[in-house]
Amino acid sequence: MIGVEDIAKRFGKQGEVRAVDGVSFTAPDGEITGLLGPNGAGKTTLLRVLATLIVPDAGSAAMDGLDVVSERFAVRERVGVLSDARGLYPRLTARENVAYFGALHGLRGAALDARVESLLDTLGLRALADRRTQGFSQGERMKVAIARALVHDPPNILLDEPTNGLDIMSVRALREQLRGLRAAGKCLLFSSHVMQEVAALCDRIVILAHGRVVAHGTAAELVARTGAPTLEEAFVSLLGSAEGVA
Amino acid sequence: MNRILAIVRKELVDAARDRRTVLVSLFSAVAGGPIMLVLLFNFMATQADRARDITLPVAGREHAPALMSFLEREEVKLTEAPTDYEARIRRGDLDVAVVVDGQFEHDLEQGRPGTVRLVFDRSRDRGRPIVDQVQNLLRAYNRTAGAQRLILRGVTPSVANPLNVEDVDLSTPQQSGALLLFLVGFYAMFAGMIGSMAPALDTSAGERERQSLEPLLMTPARPLEIALGKWLAVSIFAALVVGCTLLLFYLTLSFAPLPPVGLPFLFGGHEVGRLAVVLLPLVLLFPALLLYLAARGRTVKEAQANVSAIMFVIAFVPAASVFLQWREPAWIAAVPIAGQFTLMKLALRGEALPALQVAGSYLAPVVITVLALAGVTRLLSRESVLSGR
Repeated sequence: MIGVEDIAKRFGKQGEVRAVDGVSFTAPDGEITGLLGPNGAGKTTLLRVLATLIVPDAGSAAMDGLDVVSERFAVRERVGVLSDARGLYPRLTARENVAYFGALHGLRGAALDARVESLLDTLGLRALADRRTQGFSQGERMKVAIARALVHDPPNILLDEPTNGLDIMSVRALREQLRGLRAAGKCLLFSSHVMQEVAALCDRIVILAHGRVVAHGTAAELVARTGAPTLEEAFVSLLGSAEGVA
Repeated sequence: MNRILAIVRKELVDAARDRRTVLVSLFSAVAGGPIMLVLLFNFMATQADRARDITLPVAGREHAPALMSFLEREEVKLTEAPTDYEARIRRGDLDVAVVVDGQFEHDLEQGRPGTVRLVFDRSRDRGRPIVDQVQNLLRAYNRTAGAQRLILRGVTPSVANPLNVEDVDLSTPQQSGALLLFLVGFYAMFAGMIGSMAPALDTSAGERERQSLEPLLMTPARPLEIALGKWLAVSIFAALVVGCTLLLFYLTLSFAPLPPVGLPFLFGGHEVGRLAVVLLPLVLLFPALLLYLAARGRTVKEAQANVSAIMFVIAFVPAASVFLQWREPAWIAAVPIAGQFTLMKLALRGEALPALQVAGSYLAPVVITVLALAGVTRLLSRESVLSGR
């Protein structure tokens, strides 16, 4: 479970860029929560705070009750992140890439091997396992990056624009994976600027614009609140008011 | 600890699979030294040959028959000097020529010294051994002829020689020996640098450029563990390259068919061991320093620019010590690179290493290594590490 309370983060010399400006929400276990917002809304910054990579200027966030700042190393053991940067080691094989991160998470010996093998199977990487990742396609790289993020079997999973650059078959396969993780009771937080992505997958939606939460709730709640006929219309009307466009 | 080992193992596998890195290290450091060594040996051998059989172009041989037959007795081959000998010497086609003055015989008859001109170009090193040789021969003739005259007048020749100068050259095969010494030391050190450069760049700036740094920093691995793991891996790689270089020097000097010029230094198992002891702190220092400098660059390209600065220092310090022919002050042993260089020269002369001096040479590299690693750790702990600012 992820709880975010009034998080703020500024960048720039005088802190003139308010990337995230007082965001609060909760992402429960066993559900996929979507962070929806246009480019520059603060999605990546928010996820980086939750991934313990950056320290917020104000507010707090907790993962399963552990503070992301003061207990960041404990948090890292309980979270898997598929970030914006998903570089692999090109001279290592798919299996070695995944196993390296397993070892960094403290897995060893037979336990590490078993975990890596099962991930290779569930993600359909079996045939690629012993090839160097050098010549992998986008979709193949993504699968390895997911395996790497999940190698320590974390209860919380953050995904930053995971469908970027993927073809339709890879996107469908990814959705299946995420639904499987939800069924296993994981807490998933998924960011995207594509409304259809979020609508197709997420149980609840947090709409961000200019670093603030514009609305949150289930798709049905958002539609009901705006009185719009579809989620897309609801999204546009919510964002429209946030952007200052009629 | 397990995490550090995991990082070391991964980095070593990664570096070993980087074919370009491995080839560059092998060629520039490991093979480069012995190749230079063979070239230098051949150069020394030809120098020795040139000094042995002298062919001397002479203009006006007929004016000094006695001198000519003296030179021929000393196994100098005399040839008629070409008319444009001055131009040829200037161009470097000819090393030296002797011109006998037309008045030579006449002057001698009158009891005046006869004039012989030795024409050469001092700016050309190649001809120096021959010029020296010819000069010595002419002086020898001067002495012999002078002594004969004194004897004719009933005076013992030693009256005219109040000074007896004997050459005692302590540097054995002198210049070329010093050059060889410099070469071996330089290449051994260079190997440590070359061996650590590519892996250090790849594992720091390369890691960021490939966007694998962010996932790495999101693991529970502490920044210090990451810094130590990468440093150990690069150090092991550098140590392997240095080890291979020393081994190849040893094999070349022991078994390669080198021309017999006489080795101006020792290079046996003992010396290899001593060199390893001397070079160890550098094998730890270079990777730490390179990692720190490379981590400060946003891209591999920027990192390379940062790194080439120490490259220059490493090349410059030993070269300066060769050209500034000063007697090294005692504190030089504590200066990294210069200190190692001084100790390497001792080792190659077959002398035992003074323990205190070795300890002194470890001090600065260890301190700088610790500081550099602390710097890398600090850089990795900063939020800005991801953007490289």
